[in-house]
Amino acid sequence: MLSVIRLAWRNVGRNPRRTGVVVTAVAVGLAGTLLSMAIFSGMMFQMVDNAIKTDLGHLQIHAQGFNKDPEIGLFLEDKGAPEIEAIQAEAGIQNWAPRIRGEGLVTSPSSSVGVRVIGVDPDAEAQVSMVSGSIVQGGYFDQKRRLVLGEGLARRLGTEVGDKIVLSVQDLEGDMNGTALRVGGIFRTPSAELDRSTVFLELAPAADLFGMGDSISEIVIVGHSRDAVLETQARLSAALPDREIERWDELQPLLASILSVMDQMASGLYLIIFVAMSFGIANVLLMAIYERIREIGILLAVGLSRGRLVAMVICESILVTLLGLVAGFTLALLALFALSDGIDMSLWAESLASFGMGTRIFPVLTPADFTIPTTVALLTALIASAWPALRAVRLRPAEAVRHD
Amino acid sequence: MTETTPILQAIGVRKTYETRGVETQALSEIDLSVAEGEFTALAGPSGSGKTTLLNLMGALDIPTQGEIRLDGENLGNLTPAELSRRRLHKLGFIFQAYNLIPVFSAAENIEFVMELQGVPHEERRTRALELLESVDLAGLGDKRPLEMSGGQQQRVAVARALASRPRIILADEPTANLDSKTAIRLLDLMLELNRSQTTTFLFSSHDPLVLERARRRVWLRDGVIDRVEGGAAA
Ligand SMILES: Nc1ncnc2c1ncn2[C@@H]1O[C@H](COP(=O)(O)OP(=O)(O)O)[C@@H](O)[C@H]1O
Ligand SMILES: [Mg+2]
Repeated sequence: MLSVIRLAWRNVGRNPRRTGVVVTAVAVGLAGTLLSMAIFSGMMFQMVDNAIKTDLGHLQIHAQGFNKDPEIGLFLEDKGAPEIEAIQAEAGIQNWAPRIRGEGLVTSPSSSVGVRVIGVDPDAEAQVSMVSGSIVQGGYFDQKRRLVLGEGLARRLGTEVGDKIVLSVQDLEGDMNGTALRVGGIFRTPSAELDRSTVFLELAPAADLFGMGDSISEIVIVGHSRDAVLETQARLSAALPDREIERWDELQPLLASILSVMDQMASGLYLIIFVAMSFGIANVLLMAIYERIREIGILLAVGLSRGRLVAMVICESILVTLLGLVAGFTLALLALFALSDGIDMSLWAESLASFGMGTRIFPVLTPADFTIPTTVALLTALIASAWPALRAVRLRPAEAVRHD
Repeated sequence: MTETTPILQAIGVRKTYETRGVETQALSEIDLSVAEGEFTALAGPSGSGKTTLLNLMGALDIPTQGEIRLDGENLGNLTPAELSRRRLHKLGFIFQAYNLIPVFSAAENIEFVMELQGVPHEERRTRALELLESVDLAGLGDKRPLEMSGGQQQRVAVARALASRPRIILADEPTANLDSKTAIRLLDLMLELNRSQTTTFLFSSHDPLVLERARRRVWLRDGVIDRVEGGAAA
């Protein structure tokens, strides 16, 4: 068998230009796909990461029904004491923060805008969200009775830090309730949506405004990693059977479905590229067989079996493909290395922000980005060799040795 | 003299080629035996059926009718895989030209056959060197076929044919592409192998240089044996 592999290897090297063309095709196709996948994954990762770090966390605890219809009347009593007890029993949880979440209307001297109103415990919130670190003007609750809002919203309202605006909401009883607060800080996150439509205030004034007393709307939880969160969710659900414990991807199913579409797109892309390539490989192999009919006849005459002849053709196909894979991965890794500081996408900043992405994209590669194309490519090599191999074994020795 | 089983036997062999509905009768009513130690040539003009008969005797093709027996075994009863094994272990081939695998060196060409036979690495190496020496090519083992002359290539082909320790070597016009001096050198080498090691040779050739050295000449004409000159085994 070794002799057959050596023969195949030498045959691959005998027409460097032709082999080079196939190897380059495989390499460029692979590297191109890999790179675009890495950039897409980087964008997706960032999108999800930003969503998790600005709003979603890894898990959220709510009263039953809140996720379907987030109304202020569905709350956790007693500042979420039983829930906090369950959280503290969990090793996988790094940070958590209580929130009140409702809807309201902010009015400035020039306009009014409907907003999400979120009451936070500033210290706890700073541990689960990047908003506190994204202040571009003013501070993050460094003074009492202040509002913190996004840059987009400030622009819509025409307000600046220090300006007074009125926040009105419908309270628990269904009555309108309002209060005037000064703008304490303005933030800018990668999420244009958050920046445009959210106001934060401290838990106590929010509770007053909504008439919630000691109750809160949710507890947001950040664990060690996205992946580890499944087990934590399962245990918390068991500990708190009458609460909704939901993961980021359940809270924001659109994100999850974008990610799975991405995965399918990747597989589809690889499949298309390699199917196209398989015709190229098959064609080159076939040419190589036709050029060597006499030589194959000699091989058969000296006693090479048909099985080994087939093995030789398959080996040639696989070796060419492996060369392409190595070259492609090298090319892709070099490119990724060059891009390791991230890709500056500030030209498209606005459209990226509307998807919740920053202007600097870091390409992301997972092990699957290597294993999937390798598997697909080798399978392709195998399939591509079928036809040339069939041509080779169909040769009749007596005719092949006479061929010129 | 005791009667032994011939190495190769053609019994009532007929071969008909069919191309696009046209039948060509290449051989008919061929009866021929080749015994151990022979140095025999199939002679005759071009198109008389020499190559066809040699290919049939060498298990490269199957007769339309009749039997080819190798050491008494009817090749018609064997599967393609078994035929391949007979070629590997019992038969050696030398063709007119381009006998060698161009991507292998001379030594690798010789070793390749032994590798297919499963001969261990060390033994292959030494034997390849011995064989190269026996065909006067010592020191040229690392040369690729294209770096060698036609005569040298043919001698590597002889060494390769010997490598598998075959029962018989079939040589189809082995001198056709050589000048007479080179041809004589090749033929004398083969004769020497035949004498000293009783390697059996069956040629197909219309080259007088081959025919004058052959101990027996089987003349073909239009696919039938016309006459036989010379005796059987020496
Ligand atoms: N593959 C083939 N198809 C059809 N006819 C063939 C084929 N091979 C040989 N022949 C014919 O068979 C006859 C014998 O050919 P061949 O054995 O090559 O003769 P020689 O070797 O004596 O020159 C010729 O008439 C030749 O044209
Ligand atoms: Mg001929």
